[in-house]
Amino acid sequence: MAMSSTIPTPTTGSPGPGGFLVTLAIALIIMLAGIVVSVVCAVAVFAALNAVLPDIKLVQAVLVMLLGVAACFGYFWGSNRILDTIYPARGVHIADNINKANGIRPWLFLGPAVVILGIYLVYPVVNSIFLSFHGPDGRQWVGGANYAWLATDAAFRESMFNNILWLLVVPAAATFFGLIAAALTDRIGWGNLAKSLIFMPMAISFVGASVIWKFIYDYRAEGTEQIGLLNAIVTFFGGEPQAWITLPLWNSFFLMVILIWIQTGFAMVILSAALRGIPEETIEAAIIDGASPFQIFYKIKVPQIWATIAVVWTTITILVLKVFDIVLAMTNGQWGSQVLANYMFDWMFRGLDFGRASTIALVIMAMVTPIMIWNIREARKDMK
Amino acid sequence: MKTSMLVGAVALALSCSAAYAADLKFAPGEDARFNWKSFEDFKAAHDLSGQEMSLFGPWLSADKDLIESVTAYFEEATGAKVNYSGSDSFEQQIVIDTQAGSAPNVAVFPQPGLAADLASKGLLVPLGSETADWMKEHYAAGQSWVDLGTYKGQDGAENFYGFSYKADLKSLVWYVPENFEDAGYEVPQTMEELKALSDQIVADGATPWCIGLGSGGATGWPATDWVEDLMLRTQAPEVYDQWVRNEIPFDDDRVAEAIDAFGAFARNDDYVDGGTSAVASTDFRDSPKGLFASPPKCYMHRQASFIPSFFPEGTELGRDADFFYFPAYAEKDLGTPVLGAGTIFAITKDSDVARAFIDFLKTPIAHEIWMAQAGFLTPFKDANPETYANDALRKQGEILTSATTFRFDGSDLMPGKIGAGAFWTGMIDYVGGKSAKEVGADVQKEWDAIK
Amino acid sequence: MSTVVGNRPALTWAVHLAVLFLVALWTLPTLGILVSSLRDKDQLAVSGWWTALTASERNIVARAAPPDEAEEEDGRWVLKGNVFEGSGGKAAAFGVSSREPSAFAVDETAELRDGATVTVAANGDYVVAYPQKPEGNRGQRIFVSSVEPPRFTTENYENVLFSEGLGKSFINTMTVTIPATVIPILIAAYAAYALAWMEFPGRALLLATIVGLLVVPLQMSLIPLLRLYNEVGIGKSFIGIWLAHTGFGLPLAIYLLRNYMAGLPREIIESAKVDGASDFEIFRKIILPLSFPALASFAIFQFLWTWNDLLVATVFLGNNEEQLVLTGRLRELLGSRGGNWEILTASAFVAIIVPILVFFAMQRYLVRGLLAGSVKGG
Repeated sequence: MAMSSTIPTPTTGSPGPGGFLVTLAIALIIMLAGIVVSVVCAVAVFAALNAVLPDIKLVQAVLVMLLGVAACFGYFWGSNRILDTIYPARGVHIADNINKANGIRPWLFLGPAVVILGIYLVYPVVNSIFLSFHGPDGRQWVGGANYAWLATDAAFRESMFNNILWLLVVPAAATFFGLIAAALTDRIGWGNLAKSLIFMPMAISFVGASVIWKFIYDYRAEGTEQIGLLNAIVTFFGGEPQAWITLPLWNSFFLMVILIWIQTGFAMVILSAALRGIPEETIEAAIIDGASPFQIFYKIKVPQIWATIAVVWTTITILVLKVFDIVLAMTNGQWGSQVLANYMFDWMFRGLDFGRASTIALVIMAMVTPIMIWNIREARKDMK
Repeated sequence: MKTSMLVGAVALALSCSAAYAADLKFAPGEDARFNWKSFEDFKAAHDLSGQEMSLFGPWLSADKDLIESVTAYFEEATGAKVNYSGSDSFEQQIVIDTQAGSAPNVAVFPQPGLAADLASKGLLVPLGSETADWMKEHYAAGQSWVDLGTYKGQDGAENFYGFSYKADLKSLVWYVPENFEDAGYEVPQTMEELKALSDQIVADGATPWCIGLGSGGATGWPATDWVEDLMLRTQAPEVYDQWVRNEIPFDDDRVAEAIDAFGAFARNDDYVDGGTSAVASTDFRDSPKGLFASPPKCYMHRQASFIPSFFPEGTELGRDADFFYFPAYAEKDLGTPVLGAGTIFAITKDSDVARAFIDFLKTPIAHEIWMAQAGFLTPFKDANPETYANDALRKQGEILTSATTFRFDGSDLMPGKIGAGAFWTGMIDYVGGKSAKEVGADVQKEWDAIK
Repeated sequence: MSTVVGNRPALTWAVHLAVLFLVALWTLPTLGILVSSLRDKDQLAVSGWWTALTASERNIVARAAPPDEAEEEDGRWVLKGNVFEGSGGKAAAFGVSSREPSAFAVDETAELRDGATVTVAANGDYVVAYPQKPEGNRGQRIFVSSVEPPRFTTENYENVLFSEGLGKSFINTMTVTIPATVIPILIAAYAAYALAWMEFPGRALLLATIVGLLVVPLQMSLIPLLRLYNEVGIGKSFIGIWLAHTGFGLPLAIYLLRNYMAGLPREIIESAKVDGASDFEIFRKIILPLSFPALASFAIFQFLWTWNDLLVATVFLGNNEEQLVLTGRLRELLGSRGGNWEILTASAFVAIIVPILVFFAMQRYLVRGLLAGSVKGG
């Protein structure tokens, strides 16, 4: 609330708590009416067209997509119309009406997103919080027992340690390589081809990725021909072949490489967009001032796209918190490579203990808090 | 409009099911080896036309075709339709589906431990004592199979939930007979002979064993089979049962002894292809290929009856590869213990068709159809051994029925967190150099944590 | 852009080399499976993929024809054939016992215990001769050390592509992917606009919540959501999975789009407001076109995610023929215990082809959109 007073907006005579509730109630009514009407319309049109069109799944999918888009537009357009009808921007109460409409409109824009997020994400989180205070079957109240168990569990400490390692290494490395790739490929003729090739790992499912890396990390006994690239290189230089993913501590890094390999393409695409968004004049001015390409990159370009770098970093950090496919497929947390998400998966499906699994899930969610706080601060800065 | 479409879809589905039902592998009444009378009797007693049931299990591709060839006879007999679907993440999906209320009618559990967990949450339907009595009477070593399917329900009372159908044999050692001939080796009859043979092979400058524990996320499980087999060969079966139920701790001396017996093979650099360091990282699917290399990388491979599907293409059982019973110690008077595994059918959503399907599994024909094709063993005494597809299966069937002690794969009976987690990790640590006692203590600690 | 480095040829070269190095590093693993997927599966398992083009030395075990097929020839019973069975190769040495698999040079004669003889020629032709009419159907094993030419095959792809039901799964995946990619974008775009450019109490809190929701582990939501579906009556259906993908994709969509939109020039929006445009019009006429690159890049990510998804699909769709998606089908192809690397490699490649094509197709728009977006001021 504090910030709303600092922003020069037309919200003069800001509504009290009662006014806020009225606003919310009106927003809710319009929102629900809009959603219901547009969904019902879409379903009706779908039913009508479905009877006419051939019974092919793909046709239905395209139809659903078109209707979905139409319903969304219909909702946003319709709800805005309703709002403008209730509070017309004319007549004697024009200022008051605009204020009221402006109070309600954001909620109309946010409506569908908030509803869907509520069902698909908030509800499961609440459910997890509930389960974390219950026993394995989710019925028996155990208080803080699950949390107490977590505090003493060695495997949890191991996962926590590994997760922190992952959090330190992967976002930094992926963003760094992505930035380098974005900066370099923008300067050359075959940059788009190069970009596509670096982006390619993004298109590979985790199952595919683990197959691919099996051909890198594969280990055959010393003396036989290696079919894993890494060991082939090591033996070529006279080294001793290693079973890479079984080396404690090191194996975490070998697994991280896979995620870095995948995520660099993501970082590159987003950062490349940001780099191209930097106005030419800024750079040209620097060139005239005699700045070297490296100076231009580090002193001018990077600061300009700092916000985007932060977004990429955040996104990859969050992905790392959730990573489990790679670990599950390559080591399943053995040889000391366990991470939190896989540990949770383990308790859920091997341990069948929803209480403990939920508790670990909440720890994963709690780890994102610093990023949330930082984002709130950034968002407040944006508004000024 | 909608209803007409629906009717059309139903008609289509029905016509499909009719087409399915006609597709029977062996024409009823033709081959005298099959017990067609049991089929006709079952057909006469059941009419469930137009009804459907869903069957969910771990079998995919070839195995899926096999189970569907069996359910086709059920469909033919009753007129009901069976929708089988398989998943290789069965263990997770059955948990999600039963918890969320979209359970299939019948689920096929590869691990009794998981079935027991679900039973304790009230997600399985008891089959009734009648079925338990039937199994006790008609299965070889019937009581042990009944025990396998008996779990505590939500109310804490023990009930019979799991119907065992399809068994695997674990106590087998695979070898290439001609390699043995070339080197002049004989198939060992006792554990002492097996060890002497291993030493002999080492003395001859070769490697006796191929052992691979790698299995992606499940790495370590092949070692648990070794330890269980050796447990049955070093201790009385009662000790095995106590161990599996954790009535003796995992770091008990007797458990450590069995683990070290495995270590005598796996932790001996001379014994295993690639040395000990290769054991944990070699994939269990690649491991048997060493038998067929030229020159052979190893002479023997201990693995369950399913492993021939990972032999090189064109390998003919009996000619290119064969197996012998993983022998028992002559000096310890423990008979011929056999370790096995199998799948358990349980009703997860009750219906008449599901009940009838379980009844169908009691007919000899339901076993014989699969026996006559591939990879199926059964302890069912009324099923005709003549119907086994080949000599190898028949020989395995004999090992199964002639066992003085039959025990189920212990890791499948332990809670999932142990049998499919801590035990695996422990074995990898053990192969990596930890002592058996330490490993046992680690596993025990984890077991205490879930009690 | 070339102006930046155009006058420094050394630097240009360095850039080219650096990019080449990065590209090589990033494509090498994928190249590995591409090559592997085209190789003969016997060679795949014994030699590295980088040796695919060189002739490989192999020890093979061949089996001569069964003795009871022997024909009489000059008083001896003879069997003839070729150890390579048509696949080609050059024999260097051979043997008749697994103990000494290369005891004899080619064209030498090896004697067996019962007086029979075995000869192998360099081209792989073998002659087994018995003094008396032999019996039995177990052919003599012949061990051959050979130099084999590299063998490539499309068999792995044929196995994957022409396997039953792949086409249907392909359509199922498309059916899941198309609506699940497009619908969340629109919903997210409106929400992102509200979060970026509209004033309302609790905005920062809402944004933080969305960041927090990014991290919700998917596994936690599967059971409660499927239960909800069953209670509402949706069950396992396409509607369910479209909504699920929409829900799981929304936080990232909102987050990325909001950040992009917040970076759009304030002047444009404010001048439009001064002109009396409503938020709805500003969004539709200014923000949406300007955000095209961000929308396109999110569309790519959402597409890749739904295309490669297996977890959500296995939970919210059935495993039956009518609903099985591509990833599920490929996993099924690997067999219940999944050990065939040749199938794995080929199927991994089949699965990535469509996403790659989509990326290439979208990239044109992406670049165009990016250039359009660069009008923004600092």
